[in-house]
Amino acid sequence: MTQTPITPDPATEEKLAHFEARIARGEKIEPGDWMPDEYRRQLKRMISQHAHSEYVGMLPEGAWITRAPSLRRKMILIAKVQDEAGHGQYLYHAAETLGITREEMMDALLTARAKYSSIFNYPSLTWADVGMIGWLVDGAAIKNQTMLAGCSYGPYSRAMVRICSEETFHHKQGKEMILTYARGTAKQRAMAQDALDRWWWPSLMMLGPHDAESTNSGVLTRWGVKLKSNDEVRQEFMNEHVPELLEAGLTIPDADLRQDEDGNWKHGPIDWSEFWAVVKGERGLMGERLGARRKAHEDGAWVREAMEAHAARRATAQAAD
Amino acid sequence: MTGRPDTQWPRWEVFKQDAPGRPHQAVGSVHATDADHALVTARTLFARRPSAVSMWAVPDHAILARTQEQDERGEPLPDLASGDVRTYVVARKTTHKRSMTFVDVVGTVDADSPAAALALARERFPEPPALAWWVFPDAAVARTDDTPGTVESWFAPAKDKTYRQQSSYGVVGTHASKRNPRAGGPDRD
Repeated sequence: MTQTPITPDPATEEKLAHFEARIARGEKIEPGDWMPDEYRRQLKRMISQHAHSEYVGMLPEGAWITRAPSLRRKMILIAKVQDEAGHGQYLYHAAETLGITREEMMDALLTARAKYSSIFNYPSLTWADVGMIGWLVDGAAIKNQTMLAGCSYGPYSRAMVRICSEETFHHKQGKEMILTYARGTAKQRAMAQDALDRWWWPSLMMLGPHDAESTNSGVLTRWGVKLKSNDEVRQEFMNEHVPELLEAGLTIPDADLRQDEDGNWKHGPIDWSEFWAVVKGERGLMGERLGARRKAHEDGAWVREAMEAHAARRATAQAAD
Repeated sequence: MTGRPDTQWPRWEVFKQDAPGRPHQAVGSVHATDADHALVTARTLFARRPSAVSMWAVPDHAILARTQEQDERGEPLPDLASGDVRTYVVARKTTHKRSMTFVDVVGTVDADSPAAALALARERFPEPPALAWWVFPDAAVARTDDTPGTVESWFAPAKDKTYRQQSSYGVVGTHASKRNPRAGGPDRD
């Protein structure tokens, strides 16, 4: 809570009290409403990072579209990658309502000043990774996004409700694919296990640092943005996915995995040094991911220029009428 | 790119109608160079799945937006000069319930300024109390063509892409609710 600016101005104090009372009543804060500068700043940071994650998240799976093993799987994967692009757009829209432009956000991403989820800096080495990303990475994202769908900022909440309704398909298609492989040939089972071995720990880490280490959580919790802590969401993820993975006959790569007396599945210690190294780009594919995004942005420049030229010519023609 | 002036295309608010007789609802926004571009982009973004029968795109500068909180705080309305009487579309939000849409279109009023249109909207649509209002000139709305052939070609393809629906995958494996979380230990082998 130390980040909250404490201001002696009584008018601002009164506005803050009114704002907090609205959140306590379950009201949504809408564009145009008074909000503390810190609420606006935190939401801009959080929503734009989330948008960037959807946008960069197209890359690990998009690479497999040309190599999908059947037409059905190819159509599913194209639809999923299209959805990720759409989800990025919904979120950029929500962030814009706080007074930041898409250009500013895109510039921050392409110049590596903005963060995005480090999960997308891991390589997708085999086709089974596409299934495991759907099941675990989207499974973890849905847990987080379902919580955010109830958040206090109206535009963010609405984007999350729409995203969750679409994302459920991503989760199911991945689970269906991995279960098919887990019941398949020895080679298919080995592929599914190998994908689990590589994606299990990154999936747990993507839900964020432990509560004691989470620097932005205080104010976000106080103002109804984060309704659950990182560790609570991680527990929900574990309780859903551990039994299902075990039932599929797969082995979770955690020697300390256990169930406590309340039925909660507990993981062993997480290697956070790896998490931070990937976030900072010291490990993983950050350079490659940003390179691909920059190339896409530059390769699309002629389309944007053509659209602008068309609009300008049409405006001139209309002015002449 | 850094330091470049903001040259992004104008922002358009998008409304989607799910079925005949249902209201047009604000679903989000797109950036586009003109009305046709806005509608094509809006369809790509907001009609990847059923259902939709009509979409609108409205330039955001044409919209007067007002929240209940702004009223309570007494924030002044923009002082827009009165002009000719025009038809304004009225949309409002009336609930804090979880939703993927913002304001719903409720009707039109004829007024000589956006502020006058808002005042009329408050009289005409008093219940339930609005949490947020949008009013905009009807003439500013770009609409998809509502002839059957166009509706079919624009929106029907989404219906056939059933693999985009989570329901097409059924229940995979054992449903979580069927599983006793306390039963047995981890079967690790």
